[in-house]
Amino acid sequence: MSNGRLERIIGIVLRTGIVASSVCLGAGLVLSLIGVVTPTAVLLNVGVVVLLATPVARVIVSIVEYVNERDWAFVTLTAIVLAELAASAVAALVFNRRL
Amino acid sequence: MPVVTPSLALIIFIAGIIAGGLGSLLGVAGGVFLVPFLNLGLNLSFPVAAAISLATVIATSSSVSAARSREQVINLRLGMLLEVATAGGSLLGGITAQLVAPAFLQRLFGATMMAIALTILTRLNRRNVILDPTVSTGVLGGRFVEEESGGEVQYRVKRLPLALVASFIAGNVSSLLGIGGGVIKVPVLNAWCGIPLRVAAATSAFMIGVTATPGAIIYYGRGQLVPALAAAAVLGVQLGSWRALEVAAKVPAKWLKLLLAVVLIIVAILMFVRPR
Repeated sequence: MSNGRLERIIGIVLRTGIVASSVCLGAGLVLSLIGVVTPTAVLLNVGVVVLLATPVARVIVSIVEYVNERDWAFVTLTAIVLAELAASAVAALVFNRRL
Repeated sequence: MPVVTPSLALIIFIAGIIAGGLGSLLGVAGGVFLVPFLNLGLNLSFPVAAAISLATVIATSSSVSAARSREQVINLRLGMLLEVATAGGSLLGGITAQLVAPAFLQRLFGATMMAIALTILTRLNRRNVILDPTVSTGVLGGRFVEEESGGEVQYRVKRLPLALVASFIAGNVSSLLGIGGGVIKVPVLNAWCGIPLRVAAATSAFMIGVTATPGAIIYYGRGQLVPALAAAAVLGVQLGSWRALEVAAKVPAKWLKLLLAVVLIIVAILMFVRPR
């Protein structure tokens, strides 16, 4: 059904993202609870941003892989998904206070 | 915005462990348990509860799919196709969530859970796997090794438009209610679209990262995603779901469905009895 290469690449992207965000969130949370102020907000926000960016990165590598395979139907479909994710960032900016 | 105290963080961390464990046992992200607890139990506002839950949904999707990416049980092509609908639904839901009253969201949550529970209960004994290995699976179908039958089984995808509609609704409800939406997609994919429960669950778990992201981005942009509380919940859910996957593979599918239905009915009743 699916090719193993894309699954492997996606596995690596997801694993990297979840480990990186968990480390930032864990460190940020522990530091904030023991009362260290300075780096905590940055660590926590970086953790959240990496967490939210992981699915986006997974969609981008899928597009690249489908381009390599010349599977234009799935290039189009995954590109639409990326556009929808980008639109949510635009909506966030419209509603915004933080991004 | 809630004040982040160590005890609040600890309670959310423990709630995350329980939601993560239950969720992965039942094949759903923990959101269906976490949102009612944060909202009704801890009195966090509905958008704040939903935003924390969406963060855990993304984390669950990433870690579960990373672990399963070697097993061939995720149907990648079906997942990517349905993501077009689910991400669009999520985008609209994230915008809508900023415009409607929290009490409406609570009732919608209750009604959604009740409807899903009843769907699951009416289709408890259905099996979708084709045990004959020579049958063609079509463009989107697939085959995988199933422990219950002890061999390779195949399936075909039926009623694709229905799967797309369900994914759109799931995406919409996901942003609005802070759940992954797997709780909608999995029963529809399994009951009507011919996809075996384990493939439906794995493919849904793969998709919910992308489903939850537009909503989470919008909540984060609004300042409704509290990073410290999200951190506590995300770490708890990850810890909770860590061992439960191995248990889930050994429990008969029928019992998992029954347990999920009962839990959903309880959650639905709580949301209706205690709206604020």
